[in-house]
Amino acid sequence: MRLVWKLLRQHISVPQFVGFLFANLFGMVIVLVGYQFYSDVVPLFQQGDSFMREDYLIVSKKISTLGSVVGKTNTFSSGDIDEIKEQPFTSQIGAFTPSAFKVSASMGLEGAEGFTTEMFFESVPDHFVDVSLDDWNFNEGDKEIPIIIPRNYLNMYNFGFAQSRSLPKVSEGLMGMIHFDISIRGNGKSDMYKGRIIGFSSRLNTILVPEKFMKWANSYYSADAGVDNEPSRMILEVKNPADENIAKFFQSKDYETEDNKLDAGKTTWFLRMMVGIVMIVGLLISALSFYILMLSIYLLVEKNASKLENLLLIGYSPVKVALPYQALTILLNMAVLVVALTVVSLVRNYYMDVVTMLYPQIETGTLCPAFALGILLFVAVSLLNIVVIKGKVMQIWQRKD
Amino acid sequence: MESIELKNTLPQVFASRDSVESDVWHKEIALQKGKLYLLEANSGTGKSSFCSYIFGYRKDYQGIICFDGKNINNLTTSQWVDVRKNHISMLWQELRLFPELTAFDNVLIKNNLTSFQKKKQIDEWFEMLGIADKKDAKIGRMSFGQQQRVAMIRALCQPFDFIFADEPISHLDDRNSEIMASIMMAEAKRQGAGVIVTSIGKHMVLDYERVLKL
Repeated sequence: MRLVWKLLRQHISVPQFVGFLFANLFGMVIVLVGYQFYSDVVPLFQQGDSFMREDYLIVSKKISTLGSVVGKTNTFSSGDIDEIKEQPFTSQIGAFTPSAFKVSASMGLEGAEGFTTEMFFESVPDHFVDVSLDDWNFNEGDKEIPIIIPRNYLNMYNFGFAQSRSLPKVSEGLMGMIHFDISIRGNGKSDMYKGRIIGFSSRLNTILVPEKFMKWANSYYSADAGVDNEPSRMILEVKNPADENIAKFFQSKDYETEDNKLDAGKTTWFLRMMVGIVMIVGLLISALSFYILMLSIYLLVEKNASKLENLLLIGYSPVKVALPYQALTILLNMAVLVVALTVVSLVRNYYMDVVTMLYPQIETGTLCPAFALGILLFVAVSLLNIVVIKGKVMQIWQRKD
Repeated sequence: MESIELKNTLPQVFASRDSVESDVWHKEIALQKGKLYLLEANSGTGKSSFCSYIFGYRKDYQGIICFDGKNINNLTTSQWVDVRKNHISMLWQELRLFPELTAFDNVLIKNNLTSFQKKKQIDEWFEMLGIADKKDAKIGRMSFGQQQRVAMIRALCQPFDFIFADEPISHLDDRNSEIMASIMMAEAKRQGAGVIVTSIGKHMVLDYERVLKL
């Protein structure tokens, strides 16, 4: 094989191959850095272990001034709900059921006159509640209603109101011991209940009662019992809150969500688009460099055509004759891969320093994505080279010009 | 391979001629292993074409050429490689040596493929043909007569059932052509091979069993 190589390396153009080497290296580095960066940074927006963690969004229709004036409804029809249910990002959906009766709560300490306030209840299906459900039940005839209030309320009281009035702060445990008097009126009936706060929700920003109670009370106290009220808010369990399709869907439907969970989706989308553009540019450069390599190999084969032909005539098989050039291209590709991966690793070290400084919670992943993609590209390009060179040698064998 | 058969074979360029007078073209003949043939030809009668057809290098002919009854048009690439490596040796008129390599490397490039001859034997042939001092010289710097001798040595570095020598001595003096003939015949005899020598006038002095006019 040494002699064959000695023959076939004639006319190899070093500048052409160096040109290919640099062009391909450039393209490969861009592609790999883009991909590696994407894989490193995206988990920041996906918020870690998306397998374990479920995410909830609370959706309502936008209330516009015009809508309020013309009395446009802001409730979800069953058609709307079905549509959301069919979206690929939805795993569960539940409605907020509002109370169809009047509620007022009063609180007094040791018989002293306390304060009274008009209020409302809402309920959601039990599995959306993020508080221990041990005390979360109601049976018809019970005089005590378990209530969950938003954690915000407690914070508002503790850090706002109590602070400014020098009132004592209330812990969650203490709050659980306070009982309210709740009066419910409607449909010509009026009853007193005891309310007990059994927990605080960070997810549900409303005054929550068990759905079972709500169903019963709505039919019992509501004048138009039996009419299903359309919900004005929905709670949605989604597979991945960073999914940009959620934001797109809500935008198109004019729905609103309560907090900024969807921003991650938007950021991911932009990130993906930018990385996509960068990678396409890189792939384009790689493709062009591949073209350069193929052209120089073609040129080489043409220049050495008579040698190749003579080798075939003294008994060398086309496979053996093609082998040196195939080995040459594979070697070049491999060199490019190794250098590219080294560069990627250096670049990654640099940007990961910055990223970990900004987001200390980020898991420092591995170079695996770049390795995998690099090897994939290497294999694909090398296979293509092998096939093309073999084809070229077969042309000489068959004496086709 | 025991025989090479030609059945009504004719180069396509001769197809328009009214009559072809030849012992080979448009005839049924068979070349047998172990026999010695002289193919005499005038220039332009298709001598080199004949060699090219048999070696699968060209296909521009009519009729059929067979190896042991098998049409060579149906041979696969790997079968052709086997024929060229193990069954038919060809000493081309245009030699087809590699000018970039030395004389010895030109022989080695073949012998490395077949691992057929010992280095000692190759050295001996270089010695006998009087080009031992040119072993390390680049082929491109050698005279055509010297190149013919190198090409002959290379042609012998493989197992063969037939050896074709296309004008092997056109540039050799009588003494060297005699030595070359004896080397070739000795190797052919050792392998029990058929020998086909072509010539347009001057030819190796041998006991040809059959002389064919092309």
